Amino acid sequence: MRHIIPLLISFLGTTVHASTSPSYSITDIPAPPTKFKNIQVDGLTFLPNGKLVVCLPSGEIFFRDLQSETWELFAQGLHNPLGVLALSNSELIVTQRPELTRVRDLDGDGKADDFEVLTDQFGMSGNYHEFNFTPVLDQKGNYFFALGTGSSGDGVRTITRGVFNERGRPGRMHSSAPYRGCIMKFTSDGKTIPYSYGHRTPNGLGFDLKGNLFVTDNQGDWVGSSKLFHVQKGRFYGHAASLAWKEGFVGTPVDAPTEKLAKMRSRACVVFPHGTMANSPTEVLAISEKANFGPFAGQLLVGEMNQPRIVRVMLEEVDGELQGACVPFIDGSPLGRGCNRMAWAPDGSLFVGQTKHTWAGGQGIQQVSWNGKTPFEIQNMELTSKGFKITFTQPVDQALAKKKENWPFNRYFFEYRRAYGSPRSDETPVEVEKITVSPDATEVDIELTELLAWHIHEVKIENLISKSGEELSNNYIVYTLNRLLANTPPDPLQVKLAQFNTSEKKK
Amino acid sequence: MPLILCLFSVFLFFGFSSFLLGESKENIHLKGKALYNGAGSCVACHMPDGQGQPGSVPPLANSDWIKGGTDRSIAIALRGLAGPIRVNGKHYYSAMPPQLLFDNQKLAYILSYVNQAWGNQERVVTEREVAEARERLPQAVYTPQSLLKKFPFDKKLNRKNGTFTPTYDDLITEIIQPIIYRTFMPGASPAAFAVALPGNHYFCWDAGECRLRYIWTKGGFIRNNQVHWASNGKPVAQFNGTPYYRARTTKLLGQTFDQLSKTNNKQPIYDTSQADNFPITIKGIEDKPSYLGYRLINQYPQFRYSLGKYLITELIRTNKDLSGVQRTFSLSPPAPIKFTLTPTEESSISCDQGKMNPDGTLLIKAEDSARFSIFINPKKESN
Repeated sequence: MRHIIPLLISFLGTTVHASTSPSYSITDIPAPPTKFKNIQVDGLTFLPNGKLVVCLPSGEIFFRDLQSETWELFAQGLHNPLGVLALSNSELIVTQRPELTRVRDLDGDGKADDFEVLTDQFGMSGNYHEFNFTPVLDQKGNYFFALGTGSSGDGVRTITRGVFNERGRPGRMHSSAPYRGCIMKFTSDGKTIPYSYGHRTPNGLGFDLKGNLFVTDNQGDWVGSSKLFHVQKGRFYGHAASLAWKEGFVGTPVDAPTEKLAKMRSRACVVFPHGTMANSPTEVLAISEKANFGPFAGQLLVGEMNQPRIVRVMLEEVDGELQGACVPFIDGSPLGRGCNRMAWAPDGSLFVGQTKHTWAGGQGIQQVSWNGKTPFEIQNMELTSKGFKITFTQPVDQALAKKKENWPFNRYFFEYRRAYGSPRSDETPVEVEKITVSPDATEVDIELTELLAWHIHEVKIENLISKSGEELSNNYIVYTLNRLLANTPPDPLQVKLAQFNTSEKKK
Repeated sequence: MPLILCLFSVFLFFGFSSFLLGESKENIHLKGKALYNGAGSCVACHMPDGQGQPGSVPPLANSDWIKGGTDRSIAIALRGLAGPIRVNGKHYYSAMPPQLLFDNQKLAYILSYVNQAWGNQERVVTEREVAEARERLPQAVYTPQSLLKKFPFDKKLNRKNGTFTPTYDDLITEIIQPIIYRTFMPGASPAAFAVALPGNHYFCWDAGECRLRYIWTKGGFIRNNQVHWASNGKPVAQFNGTPYYRARTTKLLGQTFDQLSKTNNKQPIYDTSQADNFPITIKGIEDKPSYLGYRLINQYPQFRYSLGKYLITELIRTNKDLSGVQRTFSLSPPAPIKFTLTPTEESSISCDQGKMNPDGTLLIKAEDSARFSIFINPKKESN
């Protein structure tokens, strides 16, 4: 969910082929019987007993028995519950605007009767954009949740919660109430602490299978294009406002020299190019072992609100930091827009809840199922010393894969700046030097004439079919190349175009 | 078009004819005024100043439905009008029954009066017009939709359509079960509750300060709240009544709820770290209250919060006779409490464990602190 600006789709290439592989089918799930006629999905998960849990903007939580196909109302009266975890069949953890709340049915009648504050030790200016996103729980019993900043689309309420901080108030998206724009940790011993800083609209936390925590962010001020961050303690991820709450940071964050902020910030492990990959990324969901979803276990799914799309993310550790690639995966109709929350059903299929809250998006619940046939997709993209190794789920047509013209790479970066979004800067085609296909034809090793750190590298693979003649379902892949395997130059910060020898292309 | 012109000339003719027949405009006005203000007549709902009642009865004074719409007014008076309606941009929910007690002449007097009172500048209505309409109009109560279909707004006046689609809350008129919403409420921190109780008592409880903010009963529960929930969340809830109880805080001095609903402020009036006038004081405890959650007791909310080492619960229900609100507190461990209420002209306040002083303070003994109830009832005259 990001601030509304006219959508400037800078990329309308005709060669991108993005669609859902025929190995996946999409089924609409009937809407819960809410009396409020609103079926946007703000939270979605499954109970241990296999029932689907759905949170609506009206503050209602419904359970659905997938066998009997019936809905039951479990709870009501929550304030925009934008995320839910199930601890048991009668106990949920919900992020709602004012709190992290434990919702329980104590008397066993199937309806929640106790709403306990786990923590409300964070502020609210009352600005509409101060959402409270997605609780997650780590192995040690710590909760994390994500606090949205306030929007310049409105001010603050007449009474605010928590110490009002004028230093966080200026700027486009603001943080005048405690810890807005932070990922919060609620520790197993009951402490509430700001865990990381510099988030704008962090609509969606999620762990990978190794226990790394991730969060997305939406394009806007200080966020040149939407991103995926590897959340680590004490780090600053770029959006200035929340620095008002960082110990030791002096002055008004948005007035600090951009270079200073750029030096402080940690890079995204994946950038989602605006207009072509994702404009409003949402929840992060690892493709777990129990997922019945094709040969992608360990990778991440990320929802996208603006388009009917779920993006797949593959990461690798390079020089001690995670970075990697993203590719459209479940894409286009009949998938709805507004894919906001995702969870694995007991049968390993994917349930998706859609929302919009007046932004681009949709509403409803859908199930995405895999039919067991291996789709023809990019399985992985890894950095090599001179380029990238791209692995496919099926053997490729060797002759087509070896044609350099079928691999039109481009590289560019997004500026780090206070202004809203960023153009693609320094966009340059990158020539392919050499292509090697593995004997089993599933790996294509591509050497580029130049490999530039701190630049996004993308390719729209053309004309490629599998050995058996199948069309590649999604041929557009973007690798966020921060670090090289060796000799990575220092982060150039990329705060000003003038620092670079560039001819920005007007799209 | 010719038909409309023709009808219009007929109206003009009869309009003038009543002058010609000797009844002065002043006389018509006086007769209409007397009928309008008669016991149990129009005045009972639309009020002497024609302003109606917020949220229930629409105004007649400067109503966008009356302007240029005398045929429409005649139809409403004869057949009635039911369904939520938008008048001058505001929403109203009461139904108007057909006015069966008045003959054609009397209705003509009343409508003529309404057409020219309180700044309205419409024409005189004749007995003949009413008689013809009574013959002609279908025998069914109008809805705003059906009425506008038959008698549309003049496009030149560029008015908003007077109909709207009501939401769930708009359609609740009688509260049978408690309804608990968390939403943005005026005059409370952003961590607020809006609760409707059986007997149609409504209150705002502020989790940001662990306290009851205000109680009202007239004008219905909060309206249009679904827009807040389903949209980006900007709208603050609105309600039409005036609270019969409003807890004091020195931090807010005389602002209206409209002023407190403002969301585009550079800075707040105050933040909750500066809150004062917490109603419960225990000797030696300087801590601010901390909100812990709530439990449903027979669907009624029992809030719980801590004050230093003490745990307080506050169960808010309707009285048995639905006449007001009962707040039942428990303190654990027990201790003597000074409880500070805010006496108002509009409510009567009592406690089952001692008498409230005129300044609103109430002393609860330690042995009574484990369970005591405070009753807040609207006074009859103000209700």
